[in-house]
Amino acid sequence: MYQWDMSSSRDSQEISPAEQTQEPAHYIDINGLRKTFSNGTVVAVDDFNLDIEEDEFVVFLGPSGCGKTTTLRCISGLELPDEGEVILNGRDVTFDKPKDRDLAFVFQNITLFPHMTVRENIRFGLDMKTDLSKDEKKRKVEETAELLDIAETLDRQPTALSGGQQQRVSIGRAMVMEPTAFLLDEPFANLDANLRDRMQTEIKRLQRELGKSMIFVTHDQEEAMTLGDKIVIMEDGEIQQVGTPYEIYNQPKNLFIAKFIGSPSTNIFEGTAKINGEEIYIETDDFEVRLPNVRASEFAASNGDMVFLGIRPEYMHVVPKSEGIFNAEIDVKELHGEHDAIYFTVGETPFTVTEPQGQVQDTERVKGVDFDTDKIWLFNEREERIH
Amino acid sequence: MSTASRRAQLSVSDILYKLLFYSTLGMFLLMVLVPLILVISASFRPLVEIYATDVYLIPKEPTIQPWIDGYEDLKPNLLNSLYIATGTVTIALVVAIPGAYAYARTSFPWKKPLFYIIILSLLFPHVLLVIPITDLWYDFGLYNTLPGVWLGHQTFVVPFAIWIMRDFFQKMPSNLEEAAQIYGCTQWSAFVRVVLPLAKPAIIAVLFLAFLNGWNDFLFANMVTDSRGPQPAVVQLYQTINGGSGEATDWQLLMSESLIIGLPPVTLYLFARRYISEAFAVSAS
Ligand SMILES: Nc1ncnc2c1ncn2[C@@H]1O[C@H](COP(=O)(O)OP(=O)(O)O)[C@@H](O)[C@H]1O
Ligand SMILES: [Mg+2]
Repeated sequence: MYQWDMSSSRDSQEISPAEQTQEPAHYIDINGLRKTFSNGTVVAVDDFNLDIEEDEFVVFLGPSGCGKTTTLRCISGLELPDEGEVILNGRDVTFDKPKDRDLAFVFQNITLFPHMTVRENIRFGLDMKTDLSKDEKKRKVEETAELLDIAETLDRQPTALSGGQQQRVSIGRAMVMEPTAFLLDEPFANLDANLRDRMQTEIKRLQRELGKSMIFVTHDQEEAMTLGDKIVIMEDGEIQQVGTPYEIYNQPKNLFIAKFIGSPSTNIFEGTAKINGEEIYIETDDFEVRLPNVRASEFAASNGDMVFLGIRPEYMHVVPKSEGIFNAEIDVKELHGEHDAIYFTVGETPFTVTEPQGQVQDTERVKGVDFDTDKIWLFNEREERIH
Repeated sequence: MSTASRRAQLSVSDILYKLLFYSTLGMFLLMVLVPLILVISASFRPLVEIYATDVYLIPKEPTIQPWIDGYEDLKPNLLNSLYIATGTVTIALVVAIPGAYAYARTSFPWKKPLFYIIILSLLFPHVLLVIPITDLWYDFGLYNTLPGVWLGHQTFVVPFAIWIMRDFFQKMPSNLEEAAQIYGCTQWSAFVRVVLPLAKPAIIAVLFLAFLNGWNDFLFANMVTDSRGPQPAVVQLYQTINGGSGEATDWQLLMSESLIIGLPPVTLYLFARRYISEAFAVSAS
């Protein structure tokens, strides 16, 4: 069994007990980062604040164009931010050259050096940055290749490898440096689904073994949920929410996150809040529901306020006609993993319900629809969650 | 039955097509090869066989005397040609590589218009430049000097070289240099270790074209040099045509000298061929 040799790494040798007591609060600290392009007309990242611990697997998740890559490039030094600071292990590196940051970067499109063999590619950083002996470099390269299951490709040219193997080599080139942290920009986006699943499992295992922080960028929410200890949701250059996958899934901070996370995505109905004594109702064009477990006095909206009602497909149920909260007509039924996803429209609003496979027959198109009313989320006009 | 006749029809048009294809090809080959073969044949003939009335290819008494005479005649000028060509290549590469790289990777004011000017300058009839440049070179003391010839050639070679190299650098993903920077390179060492090796095909293509230009150019070299200066072999060849021994042109000498002058570019081409096609391929990878 391979053991990653942490004891020989520079950091652990040089930190004396005295220094250890004043260790930084966080391993990586990003404060108030802002980056614009085209003379300030394009704001790629704005007011980005994040702390990362040494052994954390952090995922930046957001639709394409939301500033994930730019943030990662600012952390790595490939871009310089307009404002803000990047602190690695207690050291301010905001304006340091990429090579002086001790970070590894795995790019989305594979960036192996085509004029070098796989071995030379993996060894590249060692050649440039260390004065290890030839044998020592050889040993490190081979151990890394072994760990990544690419040992037999070492003397080939990168172009002769499959996409998956090439991305392993990229990871190997990063790993062999034993960096402070790994930055991975959608590394598996160009791989086919099966291979991507395997690589996800492997990268997670690798991160656990190395015990070093990884920042992994993706636009795929399932990938983010699978991998992250901490998920950072971004939109339009700003952080929307930071949390564990559970928090993100169960307590989205706003409408965007509620819709973005989960598949099929969260159902949203537009309505108004009705307050009647201590009871709260949400009224839409098509139905009315009472919110359980909340008193009007603690409720963050007033009578007549416009609200968005959100509920996940798994918390809605198909029941016989007229036995639910309202009736709706089935558009289509699709197999979705172990569930059937049943697509409905009520009034103008499309929504989805998931039920165990085969439970709902679509011979009769009009069905009753019921809610787990305690699972309802409410968002105010500014799309912030208020319940 | 109907399918069989259709197949027969097809094969008739196939045959016609092939016939046309190969006869065209054959004609082009003849147009190129016949003169070349005649030149080679003439270059191995003694004088008496040059004006022989009957037609034959293999000289009856082949001799390498024309080659020896031709080489003796050209020797100093061949050396000049070599100096001119190498200098032209060196200056072109030194200017075009960083210039094209800057074009592909950085932005600066007037970037686009400047590039169009560079391309347009290729379309400009260079003959028109010869007179003013000769005039200028006199004033600058560049007349009859190697740097004078080198610089003159750059008016055509540098724009062309920048065009080729810029295209190549643009196609090269900048992530490659960035990866190099992450793993320990400065911008400069990333350029040297990653960009330059990968640009080899483009560099060799430019090298070849610049060499060819420097080696073969007659017009410019003829204007800014005379027999006391660094006169290249092509210009000397021209003197051979005019000069001769007074009464008749030394055809065998002319032919051997032409071939001698043609040999270095051909040899260079054989070495550079692989890279040149790579540099001009539609996609880089
Ligand atoms: N070099 C650049 N020049 C101009 N605009 C850029 C540049 N890089 C990124 N952008 C813009 O910044 C925004 C964020 O881009 P990016 O960080 O690549 O997003 P993501 O990685 O999340 O898809 C986009 O609007 C993009 O067009
Ligand atoms: Mg991106």
